[in-house]
Amino acid sequence: MQRKNRLGFLKNQMMGVLIALTVIFVISAIVSPYFLTSYNMTVVARSLAFVGLITIGQSMLMILGELDLSLGVMAGLCGVVSGILMVNFGLNPWLAMFLSLCLGAALGFFNGIMVTTLGLHSLVLTIGTAGIFGGANLVLTKGVAITNIPKEVQFLGRGDFLGMPVPFVIMIVVLAIASWVILKTPFGRYIYAIGDNTQAARMLGIKVDRVRALVFTAAGTLAALAGLLMVTRLGTAQPSIGETWVLPPIAASVIGGVATTGGIGTPFGAILGASIIAVIENIIVLFGVSPYWQGVVSGFIVVLAISFDSISRRYLRGNG
Amino acid sequence: MAFLEVEGLGRDFPGVRALHDVDLKLELGRVHILAGENGAGKSTLVKLVTGAYAPSRGRILIDGQDVASNPGLHRYVAYVPQELNLFPNISVAENLFLPYDRKKLGGLTVNRGKLERAAQEYLDRYAITASPRDLVRDVSVPDRQLLQIARASTNKDMKVLFLDEPTSSLTSAEIERVMNVVRGFRDSGHAIVFISHKIEEVLAIGDDYTVLRNGQKVADGLISEIDEQGLIRAMSGAEIAIDQRFRPDPRPEGAPEEVILSADGLTGTGFEDVSFELKRGEILGFAGLLGAGRSELMQTIFGYMKAMSGSVTLKGKPFPLGQTSRSVKAGLLYLSEERKQHGILPQLSVRENVGISILDQITGKLGISRRQERNRVAEVIKAYDIKVAGMSQQISNLSGGNQQKVIIGRSMATAPTVLIFDEPTKGIDVRTKAEIYRIMKRLAEEGVGIILVSSEMEELRRCANRIIAMYSGRVTGTFDTATTSNETLVGALFGSETNTDAA
Repeated sequence: MQRKNRLGFLKNQMMGVLIALTVIFVISAIVSPYFLTSYNMTVVARSLAFVGLITIGQSMLMILGELDLSLGVMAGLCGVVSGILMVNFGLNPWLAMFLSLCLGAALGFFNGIMVTTLGLHSLVLTIGTAGIFGGANLVLTKGVAITNIPKEVQFLGRGDFLGMPVPFVIMIVVLAIASWVILKTPFGRYIYAIGDNTQAARMLGIKVDRVRALVFTAAGTLAALAGLLMVTRLGTAQPSIGETWVLPPIAASVIGGVATTGGIGTPFGAILGASIIAVIENIIVLFGVSPYWQGVVSGFIVVLAISFDSISRRYLRGNG
Repeated sequence: MAFLEVEGLGRDFPGVRALHDVDLKLELGRVHILAGENGAGKSTLVKLVTGAYAPSRGRILIDGQDVASNPGLHRYVAYVPQELNLFPNISVAENLFLPYDRKKLGGLTVNRGKLERAAQEYLDRYAITASPRDLVRDVSVPDRQLLQIARASTNKDMKVLFLDEPTSSLTSAEIERVMNVVRGFRDSGHAIVFISHKIEEVLAIGDDYTVLRNGQKVADGLISEIDEQGLIRAMSGAEIAIDQRFRPDPRPEGAPEEVILSADGLTGTGFEDVSFELKRGEILGFAGLLGAGRSELMQTIFGYMKAMSGSVTLKGKPFPLGQTSRSVKAGLLYLSEERKQHGILPQLSVRENVGISILDQITGKLGISRRQERNRVAEVIKAYDIKVAGMSQQISNLSGGNQQKVIIGRSMATAPTVLIFDEPTKGIDVRTKAEIYRIMKRLAEEGVGIILVSSEMEELRRCANRIIAMYSGRVTGTFDTATTSNETLVGALFGSETNTDAA
């Protein structure tokens, strides 16, 4: 018997995503002999790690009822700033990375504070700040990559830990912490409450603006982390880092059961959604689909996945 | 021959049987009262008859034809829900005619002039004072209520009109306007189904009645053959003394008078220069018409709205205004009249809705303890007799009365010092009302300061030790309930500043 409640709903939702992921995984394994090789799995895990970090932040913002479209360019800006600090200023690479993380936190906080104090719509605001951050990136780099990132930090992007790529391990640790915060702490409950009914949350004495600003800050920090890891992976600070990290985390969150209207979903579900996208993109490459067609095919599969999800949910609810 | 007949109608929801085999006969030219407590199945029945839900069992006949084989018959039935569901940012005329009948109101484009002329006819018929061009958000609440009825009546095929608590947010003069409209429909040969928790109203307007309890029909007949007590007995299945008083007992002789909360010259949006004292052990009532500024005053004290000037003290100490978090921490709680907007977290479960208020009590080093939370929530559900299928049930699926009990229950679990109830019994049945009154009385006697904002004079007389009357943002008098006549009180509501006792 289906119970109509959030947990049951989440379980259904999670089941749908898990089934979809399994089906895509199995099909991929059948049609391509390369798919399950450990090398290919590492490729998938590594690409999932970067988008995954952004997805964790974005999904928490979406549960809160907000959205930050500047996270991708924020990652790029923080990445090149770390490169400039390490290479051009010769700063200790660890200190440079710490400062870049702080920059990410500050940029996220800036978005948050603009939303809370001026009552701006986060979607529109972050379209604007994305322009600012992206522009600052080009001003600093003039579009040229910063090379010679110190070897001592490159293992962060390239190394393995327990047979898994380090960025992937970091993403999993962040996911565990985010899941604990959102499911087990009062702060997490406040995020759901605000996303579900902001006025009621305020009536309950929740410091709505503080929670909002903090989640924006956390998302900014995670974006900076993704950018830094990409820099250590490439060994160069490319100005283009993060350009493709804007929409996939939002799509991943929705596929994973996060409601665009807030109050529903988990970062874990969002990562499942991101995994689906990562596997699809991988199999397209394995199949040697022409690069010109890749966007069309992956977009089409995403539309298919969310349609399947929506239809199955309507069926499960069985109302009317 | 009844125009609309319902036979053995039933509807199941996962885990709940919302309606068992209910029969109902509606005849044209009569007002049929549908009575029952919150959660008795009234809304489910209405949704089945209007076609919003499909029945699990039984059939619905309209004009002798089965609706199942001819869904077009639903056009004879119109429903005006309890919550106002107009579009606030578009005009009165557009609200009336959405989605615009092409044939009558021009071709591809909407002909504004024609639309507004057509709207004016309806406005005149229902004595609505708003202009067709006004935006609905600027229209008064009673006009909006009538506008909803008018909108339903733009359907020329309408023969049966369901009104779900059309008077719950209106004052007595405004209620009379709605009643006149209902009588008009009756006299023009429509069948009206009237749902209300206000017994006097029901007895005055009804011809026939059907009482539901726990999803079953428990009584039906002619209104002329039943009285107030009989109707309440049928609804609740128990005897409830309707004139019982719930005023807290006065302080024992010689006990020191303690002021818990006081306001001094408080001014904010919608009210001006308000001063009062709330004493330990009493229920302090606030009476007034809609728009008298009572809710705004309370929300300002609570910190939800901004104060412009004046001060508040809590337990003798100055209390800084403007932050709800500080008020909640100090134990000053406000239970809003707008349950949906300000109270519940609609997509979350009953457990989370209660838990949100007691997180600091159930959070350990490893985070929120699921076990402790479950125990505490189970206690609240038991203590306030909340009817739920389980604590993981989504709160939106509870009846209004049970949602209210969840909100009261979670507030109590925080051990508050002052509780402000704003229309706590709006849309709530007689028995639950008595429960809420009893809770307020007990808390007052335990030393919690209780403020009761209500539009029902009867409620204030039954519960409050003192009543403060407000009229257009100003206090027009403070009265001792026991020694003040109704006339004096009502006079104060309409602005006459007479007979004011010393506070």
